Amino acid sequence: MTVAREAIVLPSLFLTVLLLGGLRIADTTMLVPPSPYVLLIGVLLVRVVVRSGALAPGQVLAAARPTLANLNGAALIATLWLGGAQTLALLIPESGVPRLVFSVFFLVLLLSTAAASPDRERLVRSLAVTFGAAYVLKFVVLHGLSAPDASAFKRVLLELVDAATAGALIQDVPHPITAYIALLTVALYLVGVFLLPHHERRSREALPETFLRTLPPA
Amino acid sequence: MDDTATRAIGLGVVVAYAALIGWLYARQPQTLAQVTGGLSAIAGAYTVDEQAFSDGLRFFRNDQFVEARLSLARADPAVRDARTQFYIAYSYYRQGWGRMYHDDRLYAEGLAAIDRAIALAPGGRLVVNDPGLGMQSAEEVKAELEAGRRLEASDFNPMRVFTSRK
Repeated sequence: MTVAREAIVLPSLFLTVLLLGGLRIADTTMLVPPSPYVLLIGVLLVRVVVRSGALAPGQVLAAARPTLANLNGAALIATLWLGGAQTLALLIPESGVPRLVFSVFFLVLLLSTAAASPDRERLVRSLAVTFGAAYVLKFVVLHGLSAPDASAFKRVLLELVDAATAGALIQDVPHPITAYIALLTVALYLVGVFLLPHHERRSREALPETFLRTLPPA
Repeated sequence: MDDTATRAIGLGVVVAYAALIGWLYARQPQTLAQVTGGLSAIAGAYTVDEQAFSDGLRFFRNDQFVEARLSLARADPAVRDARTQFYIAYSYYRQGWGRMYHDDRLYAEGLAAIDRAIALAPGGRLVVNDPGLGMQSAEEVKAELEAGRRLEASDFNPMRVFTSRK
């Protein structure tokens, strides 16, 4: 872990996630800050990242480190939190039942991931799969379903779906570029998590022979 | 470069970047011109395009309000100049004014513009010394635009056809 990565690259990367994740391009461009709810589940995400060893807090915040180094560490953790919260906010649909379902889904998922206590590699893989699935559901399925279409059949189908779900499923569709920016944002966040100063969880082979004898057979 | 310098630069970069993001969230700029203009205004380096402003005033005085607004918007692309926003609001007032009725849509646009002008003026006080204007302060323009959008008993007074545009 170089000093430049800890002090400049990673905080800037997570701040970029915070900026791009809030961008909603439609008739007017809006920057939407993360809601208090996603800020809370963002704390849970940071906890999961720390528990998995993907972030070793002792390497960025410690009494033995100089004050300036600790300030860099604090900035890194704060931006990791804000970037994570914004990524979750980006992947949660804007309105209706899907918003509620995704909000609860992310909370349950993070609680179960915390309970499972995965290692760094598995956590990054799990986040990539989860965020990828949420991205596809929101930006491909839901927006595809909600997009206005020239064909009469699609319009009738859309009206039927809208009526059957009391308007709870159909979303406002942003400009297509929003989806590309969202993909970039999620990718940047995952790269950032991957580059964090981390613990290497020791594999079974690396453990001392005397300790291995006390473990049940694999 | 030693570690301390890198860390200090890093902290400065993070604080500046976070401040920029906070400013963007607060201001919600719609165009790149508004972003750059807003940042130059913070640094005290923002100026309106005087040529475009003069063109806008010429159109305004000839009652060519659409053309005037186009020129004034070109003069102040970042929407940072109180005086330009004042004239834009005034152009909406004059265009929307009628002896029988006022155009609510234009008056609403005028209100939005005069609110911007008041927000941009130091201390919220804005007086434009232009003898061609019937109202020279932002408060008068705002009150006139608000009154024009309200439905009152005086709206049905036939004598209103004798009132004049300010």
